Amino acid sequence: MKATLRMGLSAVALITASAVGAAELGATDEPIKLALNEWTGQHVTTRVAGEMLMAAGYKVEYVTAGMMNQFQAIADGDIHATLEIWSSNVSDQYAVLKDEGKLEELSDLGLEAREGIAYPAHVADLCPGLPAWEALQDCAMNFATAETLPQGRLVDYPADWGTPGADRMVGLDLPFKAVPAGSEGALIAELRASTEKKSPLLITFWQPHWAMSAYDVKFVDLPPGEPACFEDPAWGPNPNAVNDCDFAPSRIFKAGWPGLKEKWPAAYEILVNYTLSVEDQQPMMGAVDVEGRPVEEVVSEWIGANQAKWKPVVDAATQ
Amino acid sequence: MSLSLTRGAQAALLVLAVAVITRLLGGQMAWLVGWPEALTVPMTEWVGAAVGSFLSVFKPIARFFSLLLSYPMTWIGALLGYAPWPLVLGGVTALGWMIGGLRLAALGFFGLGFVVLSGYWAESMNTLALVVVSVPLALVTGAAIGILAYEYPRLKGPVQALLDIMQTVPTFAYLTPLLVLFGFGPVVGLIASAIYAAPPMARNVLLGLERVEHEIREAAVMSGGTRRQQLFLVELPAATTQIMVGINQSLMAALSMVIIAAVIGGFDDIGWEVLLTMRKALFGQSFLAGLVIVVFAVVIDRMSGALALQRPAQDRRVAWAMLAAGLAVSGWALAAGWNPDGVAAFDGVADRVDDAVGRFTATNGAALDAVKNNAMFYGLLPLRIGLADAVLPFTWGFSWTAKHGAIFYGATAAIAGFLVWRGHLTAGLVIGVLAIMLETGISQLPWPVVIVGAGALGWVSGGWKLTRLVVILLGLILISGLWERALLSLYLSGASVVACAILGGALGLWGAVSETAWRVLRPVCDLLQTIPLFVFLIPVLMFFQIGEFSAFLAICLYAIVPMIRYTRHGLINTPEELIEAAQATGAGRWQTLFEVRAPYAAPTILLGLNQTILYAFAMLVIAALIGTTGLGQSIYLALGQADVGLGVTAGAAMAILALVADRLVQGFAEERRRALGL
Repeated sequence: MKATLRMGLSAVALITASAVGAAELGATDEPIKLALNEWTGQHVTTRVAGEMLMAAGYKVEYVTAGMMNQFQAIADGDIHATLEIWSSNVSDQYAVLKDEGKLEELSDLGLEAREGIAYPAHVADLCPGLPAWEALQDCAMNFATAETLPQGRLVDYPADWGTPGADRMVGLDLPFKAVPAGSEGALIAELRASTEKKSPLLITFWQPHWAMSAYDVKFVDLPPGEPACFEDPAWGPNPNAVNDCDFAPSRIFKAGWPGLKEKWPAAYEILVNYTLSVEDQQPMMGAVDVEGRPVEEVVSEWIGANQAKWKPVVDAATQ
Repeated sequence: MSLSLTRGAQAALLVLAVAVITRLLGGQMAWLVGWPEALTVPMTEWVGAAVGSFLSVFKPIARFFSLLLSYPMTWIGALLGYAPWPLVLGGVTALGWMIGGLRLAALGFFGLGFVVLSGYWAESMNTLALVVVSVPLALVTGAAIGILAYEYPRLKGPVQALLDIMQTVPTFAYLTPLLVLFGFGPVVGLIASAIYAAPPMARNVLLGLERVEHEIREAAVMSGGTRRQQLFLVELPAATTQIMVGINQSLMAALSMVIIAAVIGGFDDIGWEVLLTMRKALFGQSFLAGLVIVVFAVVIDRMSGALALQRPAQDRRVAWAMLAAGLAVSGWALAAGWNPDGVAAFDGVADRVDDAVGRFTATNGAALDAVKNNAMFYGLLPLRIGLADAVLPFTWGFSWTAKHGAIFYGATAAIAGFLVWRGHLTAGLVIGVLAIMLETGISQLPWPVVIVGAGALGWVSGGWKLTRLVVILLGLILISGLWERALLSLYLSGASVVACAILGGALGLWGAVSETAWRVLRPVCDLLQTIPLFVFLIPVLMFFQIGEFSAFLAICLYAIVPMIRYTRHGLINTPEELIEAAQATGAGRWQTLFEVRAPYAAPTILLGLNQTILYAFAMLVIAALIGTTGLGQSIYLALGQADVGLGVTAGAAMAILALVADRLVQGFAEERRRALGL
C-alpha cells in the first residue's frame, strides 16, 4: 500500500515538474545550507542531495545540527533543508513550527523504513520458536534481569522518542517490562554486548541501520500494523487492547525553510523530487560504518556510477 | 530534660518522630506519603509560558548580540582553520617556552603533536576557536561581577546566589531557551560555556580583592587617587595571583562545557566527533577523540597555571627560532601538500582498544552480570524501593513478611538502645531514622520526612535561616509535580555520593600515606576530570547494560575525583607543629593520622564531599544518556522536545537539590572550622 502511495506521489511530482518545466536557479552565489544530523544514513542522504544541487550549479554548505534541535534553525532560515526526518522520531516542536508556517514539509524521501521488536540472531537459540511472537510468552523469564524480575526485559527507544515497545508489550499482553534506553549509543551498546556475550536481548529497533547487518538483527513477526489495530481493541490477538500488532510503517520525509521556494526555485524543485531507496542507501552506509571509508568519497563514487538515478531530477528542474 | 539535649539530638528526635508517625499512618492516609495531586500547581506550564514571553521580548536583542559575536567567531575560526598546523604547533611551543622554559615548551610540542597525529586537527581547531572567543567573554563578565560585589558589599549575597545558580543548573536545561534566543549555531555553545565559565573568575576576583592587604589599600588612599584609579592601578594589580587562578579555572570550565554544548551541533568540533562515535558505541574511537580534549586541557591548564606563578624571564631568541621552524615546516607542508587530516596514526590503537572492550565483555560476561546483580539486589534496589519491596524470593531467596519486619526493627531498636545507653543519644536516634529509610526506600519516602529531615539538618548545620531556605526550596519542588522524579534523582546521586565518599576517602588516605600511590592516582584523576563525560558511558554500558547500576558507576567515576583530591590535600597539609607535638607525646604513625591529621583535615574533606555532591548532580544529566529515570531524564527529554518549561523547571529542581546539599555540607564544614579555631 505504501509503495503504491509513493508511486502515486512521484507521479504527481513528475506531472508538476513537467507542467512547470524548468525553474529559475535563483541566488546561486549564496550557499544552500543542508543539515547534517547524528547518523550515517542521514549523511549519505544529505550529501547525495548536495551533489545534485552542486550539479545544478548551486553552492552547498553542510551544517552539523542535532536532529532534535535543527527545526528552530530551519524556521529562522539558518539552515535551509533537512532531508531525513523519521515520523517515529520527531519532536513536538516540528509540528508546532509547521502549523505556524515557519517550516515547510517537502515530500517523502522514499526510503522504506521498518521498525519493530527485534533480537540478535543468536537469541533464537535461547528462545526457540522465534521469530513468531507467541514464543515470547513462554520464554520471558530467559530475558529477565535484576531490574525487571519477574518479567522479561525489553530495551525500548530513548524516552524522548516515545514508548512504542512498552505499548506493544501491553497490547499483546506479554510479560515484559520495557526499559527505556537513554540514547542511540545505549541501544547499540546493548546489541554489541549481547552479541559478544551471547546473552538474551529483546530490543526495539529499526532499519535501515548499519547495526542490522553488523549484529545480524532479526525482527519478531507480529500481526501486521494495520490502522484498525490502533483504534479497535477487538482487532488482533488480544480482544481487549489496541497496539496488539506490529509498528505502523514509518514515514521518512524532508523539510525546508519556507523561503526556499522563492530564493532558489530550481533547488526547491530538486529537493522536492529527490528520492533515495534503501537499496542505494544501505550499501553506502555499510561502506562508511563497516569499512570505515569517508562519506564524501563513497557518495561521490555513487554519484558517478548512478547518473541515471539522479540526473533526470536535476535536468527536469534546470533545463 | 530537653534542656540537656544537644541540638543534634533534638533534631534527630523530631525527624524520628515524624518518620514513625508517617510510617504508622501512611497506610491509611495516602496524602502523608505522596503529595496530593490536587495541590500540585502546573509549574512547568507557568514557567514555559513565562520564559516563552521573556524569550519573545528579548529575541531581537539577543539575535543582534549573536550577530555581533559571530564576527570574532568567524575570524578566529578562519584564522585557526587556515593557519598551517606547523605554525600553530611552533607558536604554542614558543609560548610554552616563554612561560615555563623547556618543560612547558616540550609539553606544548608533544601535546599538539599528538593532536596533529590523531587526525582531528580541523575539529580541534574549531573547538579551540570556540574556547578562544568564549573565555574572554566569561573573563570580562566574571571580573565585572566580582568587582561589582566587591564595590557594593550589599550585592555580595545575591551575587553569590547567582554564581551558585550559574554553576548548578545543568547546561542541558538552558540549551533550548538559548537556542530560541540566540538562534542556531556555535554562538549558543559559546554563550553556554561562557555562563558556566564566568563564576570561577568572579569568585576569584572577589576573593583576590578582599585579600589585598590593608597597608596597600591605605597607601593608595593617601596618594589621593580617585576610587577608579585605586581599583585599577593598585588593588587589581595586587590581586593578580588570585585572578590568575580564576583565569585558569575559567579556561578549564569553558573547555569542559564546549563539549556538552556540541549536542546541539552547528560546529564541526571535537564534541560532535565524540557524540558521533558514542552513537556507534565505539569506545576506542570516542576515547581517542576525548583524549584530544584532555591534551588541550592539560596544555592550557599547565600554561595558564604557570602564569600565576613568579617565573624567570626566558630567552626570546629561542621562541623566535621555534616560530621560524614552524614557518619553515609550514612551507614544506604546503609545497608537499601534506595534510594532517588523513594521518589518523592512532586509529589502529583505537580499534584495538575497542576490540579489547568487546573481548573483555565476551569472556567475563557471567562475572560482570554477577557483580551487577549483587549490587542491584543487595544495594541499590533496597535503597530505592526499600527492603519491604526489594526482598523477594528471586532476589534474596525469601519474601519480606511481618516477621522479618519485626526482626529488623527489633535489631535496630537493640543497636539504637545500646548506643543511647553508652551515651550516644544522637547516634542512636539517627540509626532509627536510617532504619526506617532503608525499610521504605528513598524513592518512597513520605514527603514530610524528607522536608522535616532536611530542615532539621539545616537547623543543626546553620540555624533557623538555613532551615527556612531549605524548606522553602524543597517545598517548591514538592508543589511543582516533579517530586517523585526528584526523589529518584536524590536516591541515585545519594547512593553514588555515599560510595564515592567511602571509596574516595580511602583512596585519598592511601595517596596521603604513600607517595607512589599518589603518582598513580594523580594522572587518573586528571584524566577522569577532563575527558568528556560521554566517553565513560560506553564501556560502562558494554559491561553492565542499560540500567541504574551503569548510571551509578558512571556518576561515581566522575564524582569520586574531588573526594580523593581533597582528602589527600587535607591530610598532608596538617601544620608541622601539631604533628611534632603529637609525636613528642609518643603517638605512632597511624595514631597521628587518625587523631591529629584527620580531625584537622575535616573541613577540607567536607569541602571535598561538597564538590563530590555537586559533581554527582552534574553527571546525573549525562547519565540520562544511559537510560535513567528522574530529573536527568526529564531534562534530556525537554531538550529533545524543545519543551522550555519542563527543561527549565527540571533544571531548577536539580539545582535546588544541589544547592540544598551544598549549603548543608558547607554549614557543617563551617562549624568544624570554627571548632578548630581556623
